[in-house]
Amino acid sequence: MKINTSYSESIKQIREKNLPSREHSRRIIHWEEKHRIKSEVVKALVFILPTRGCSWALSGSGGCSVCGYLYDNPQKPDFEMIMISIKDILNKKIQQEEEYSIKIFTSGSFLDRNEVPINVQEAILKELAKYHQIREIVLESRPEYINDKILQNIVNNIDISKIEIAIGLESANNKILKNSVNKGFFWEDFEQATERIIKFGAKVKAYLLFKPPFVTEYDSINDIFLSVSKIKKLGIDTVSINAISIHRGTYLSLLFEKNQYRPPWLWSLVYICKEIKAKFPEIRLICDVVAGGTRRGAHNCGECDKAILEQLKEFTLTQDLKALNHNIQCSCKEEWKGYVLHEKIS
Amino acid sequence: MRFFQPKSQLGFARILAETRSKVPISPGLISLEKPLKKEGYSAYFEIPFPTLDNIDKSSKKLIWIFPKEKEEKVLSKSFVLTEQPFYPHFVSDSISSQDYFEYVESFLSFPEAFRQIFTLPITMTDSKLVNQVSQTDCSLYILTGLSSLFNNQRRLSELLVSLREKISPDIAIYVPGPISPAFYSFLVYSGIDFFDNSQAYYTSKNGYFLTIDRTYSNEEHPTCYCPYCMEKPPNLFKHNELIIKNALTRIHHSLKEETLRTLVEKDIHNKVSFAATLRKYDSVFSQSFRSRSPIISNATMKCVGEESLSRPVITEYRNRIRERFVPDLLSRIILLLPCSARKPYSFSRSHMQIRKAIKKGGRGIFSILSELIVTSPLSVVPRELEGIFPAKFYDIPVAGQWTSKEISITATLLNDILKRYSKDAIIINHMSGEGYKDIIQIVREQNSFTVYDTSQEASPTSDKSLSRLSETLQEIFSDKFSSDVQAPSTLTKKLRAISDFQFGSDTGRILFADSLKTKGKYPRNQQIFSEKEQIAILNSKNGFLSLSPDSAQSISTKSKNILEFGDIQVKGSNIFAPGCIKADNSILPNDEIFVVFEKQVVATAKAIVSGKDMNKMTSGIVAEIKKKTRVKK
Ligand code: SF4
Ligand SMILES: [Zn+2]
Ligand SMILES: [Zn+2]
Repeated sequence: MKINTSYSESIKQIREKNLPSREHSRRIIHWEEKHRIKSEVVKALVFILPTRGCSWALSGSGGCSVCGYLYDNPQKPDFEMIMISIKDILNKKIQQEEEYSIKIFTSGSFLDRNEVPINVQEAILKELAKYHQIREIVLESRPEYINDKILQNIVNNIDISKIEIAIGLESANNKILKNSVNKGFFWEDFEQATERIIKFGAKVKAYLLFKPPFVTEYDSINDIFLSVSKIKKLGIDTVSINAISIHRGTYLSLLFEKNQYRPPWLWSLVYICKEIKAKFPEIRLICDVVAGGTRRGAHNCGECDKAILEQLKEFTLTQDLKALNHNIQCSCKEEWKGYVLHEKIS
Repeated sequence: MRFFQPKSQLGFARILAETRSKVPISPGLISLEKPLKKEGYSAYFEIPFPTLDNIDKSSKKLIWIFPKEKEEKVLSKSFVLTEQPFYPHFVSDSISSQDYFEYVESFLSFPEAFRQIFTLPITMTDSKLVNQVSQTDCSLYILTGLSSLFNNQRRLSELLVSLREKISPDIAIYVPGPISPAFYSFLVYSGIDFFDNSQAYYTSKNGYFLTIDRTYSNEEHPTCYCPYCMEKPPNLFKHNELIIKNALTRIHHSLKEETLRTLVEKDIHNKVSFAATLRKYDSVFSQSFRSRSPIISNATMKCVGEESLSRPVITEYRNRIRERFVPDLLSRIILLLPCSARKPYSFSRSHMQIRKAIKKGGRGIFSILSELIVTSPLSVVPRELEGIFPAKFYDIPVAGQWTSKEISITATLLNDILKRYSKDAIIINHMSGEGYKDIIQIVREQNSFTVYDTSQEASPTSDKSLSRLSETLQEIFSDKFSSDVQAPSTLTKKLRAISDFQFGSDTGRILFADSLKTKGKYPRNQQIFSEKEQIAILNSKNGFLSLSPDSAQSISTKSKNILEFGDIQVKGSNIFAPGCIKADNSILPNDEIFVVFEKQVVATAKAIVSGKDMNKMTSGIVAEIKKKTRVKK
């Protein structure tokens, strides 16, 4: 059993209570940002497609305990409009002499035919294939949709070596996947999907979740280390450490409101990044902190948060440990150390 | 071999010591990190910061604290803390038994050095898997989630009693997390051994000031002159830490004094649900506590409230009187007397006056007289047993105020005892006051004995009552007394009653002849001789007997205090668990017991733990040898 029935049941109840308040915006959200590929920094175009949302979250399982993306998705997606907007934006934004990385996110799985119909997948890939300036395309998907057929479909429409498939693994520990995240798949599923993707010539990026519910800060630091070591053995070289930010309408949010959860410390993220980069310099380590410095996101005492977030941003972009070595001193650092050790026991 | 062994037991509470060094280590306090000063702590956690290099190694440890000079002797200085694959207490409901099963499986597969600490969520205490773990040498259980039951007296009592009944007394239980020091005594009594200092971290972080029985805000609290409060600014953490340390030494001390139960009765008023839980212990689970509470003790027993009525020792005392007390055959006059504040009763002014009045009844009056002192909370104390614990050691705040429950318990026991007397015996009621009146009323209704009241109108020590007593005795005396029958001496009657109470019915007659010789006068111990051979010693402090091995042999088929031993020779000065083949389940801690090999008493000993627990322990000392039988060659 990959799910814990009673846990998943309570997640589902929370989900059902919150779904009616779902928004109906059908606009594509997009923006531009800086992004690092190998040794250079390029422009990145990020698209968020208004699909119906993640099938896992919509299923009877209730979806992941930490995830509230679903509440931003419309109930009836308009793929015609989506296609028109994508063509339009690409046309306007892509400049002749620049290189680009394209990120196509759906708040779910791009490769899930129930979420993005196969003809829409094809059309988008074909459109992207028209631009030689695009060096990299990042797609997100859960492992169960990554089969030979869907990968072959990519090969048929675009140079697959440009594709990077990002998988939200969250943790390599099945117990955490089952009893904390309610992820619905196990490490072995991720392993299989990775092998397939690599066989077809695309790249894999793994998302790890820092401090999922019920896992202490200490255990989560440990878990990130364990997971990174395991991921690296599969030949994956890009890992994104996603510190929890508390989405409304989720199981985690309830825990937080009952005072039974504290979002991670920024000190922990600095510590994790330093440790991993020092031991595995070849890994591209991404640490974009969502809602950093706020009550619902990773935060410290409030005094030092901004400076640390700056460092993490710089580190993600430059992949240079030096970025993390400006010694920021703050009185909350001792408190953090104590917290990490005590939370474990008490 | 287990790391702990009990040094004494008091209900589910005990002092645990490290097996080899015998340093007392529980009830104790665990520090979440290495403390600056080790005093007052039994152990501390050493949890290194996780790094990529140490993820696979189990480097989290619990380090035990010993005095330097003992460190060499100890079995192991630290326990390894292995992974605990489940979640904090607030979600323990959603831990599937499958996950727990996996944890236990992997736990059992560890090498022994990694199997010393076992984590047990309260939701899993009924699981059969726990039995498997308790078969191993695992020494410490971390019981998680207990505080969620603090307001549920039914579940709390069931859970703790069944857990303690199930596992051996040399397994310690640690309840992690912030717990008010005001609850320590009750939890220790319930069988918990370790707490941690997270309460000190928690309270000081949130600005609370602790005292031993409550929590104040840091802005307004009683002034404290401890060195930490005198610092500028005051060090709140250190102060709170000091309070929880002292809360524990207070319990340690009361365990040594054997007065923990009194402390518990005082402390439970800090929490209503604990008072209710204690009542459950005394009613539903009385047997579990009784069979582990010593009846041989020197401790003053302060009865503080309603809870005192049903203390395990008191229930045990009443049961033994009911089952084992047999009045002397010649008794024809039953004299019911009130108790006195001073103990033993005969040392009090009132009882001395009464005694004088009795003597006026006629020469030889004591040979047909049986005195029963009617009292709360013990109900009935035969004169013969006034010198034993708890009769000699109890203390009640106000005498003469009887609740209806006390009246009914007392009258019932009194009626049961009266059935043992000859049908033609006569009762003289020399008691006055409301409660006594009700008791006598019930006695009259349920018995056919003639009852004379000698203290009806005035107090028992008034001249009027005393002369009524003498006159009444004189009237009956000649009727009932026959000078041809040889009566046992008062001393013999007393020793027989003590022996029956202590070792089991019928043992007194076997041990003690009608007349005996003694050496040593109170307050020294009395040595008892029969035909020049010393057969027993009467301990003047606790009022109980120690027997010579030969005397013990003579009652070994009748007595319940038997430990079957695996060898003809006892080596050293202790009996260890592996040598104990079977112990009688009625043996209480502190009991004088007889070590028997193939029906031969090979030694007398003092029980450290109850018979029930002797049968459960696999290592450690279960009894201390007192006297060995000289081997005849
Ligand atoms: S985290 Fe990903 S897989 Fe889980 S519910 Fe959200 S979108 Fe779906
Ligand atoms: Zn800070
Ligand atoms: Zn103080």
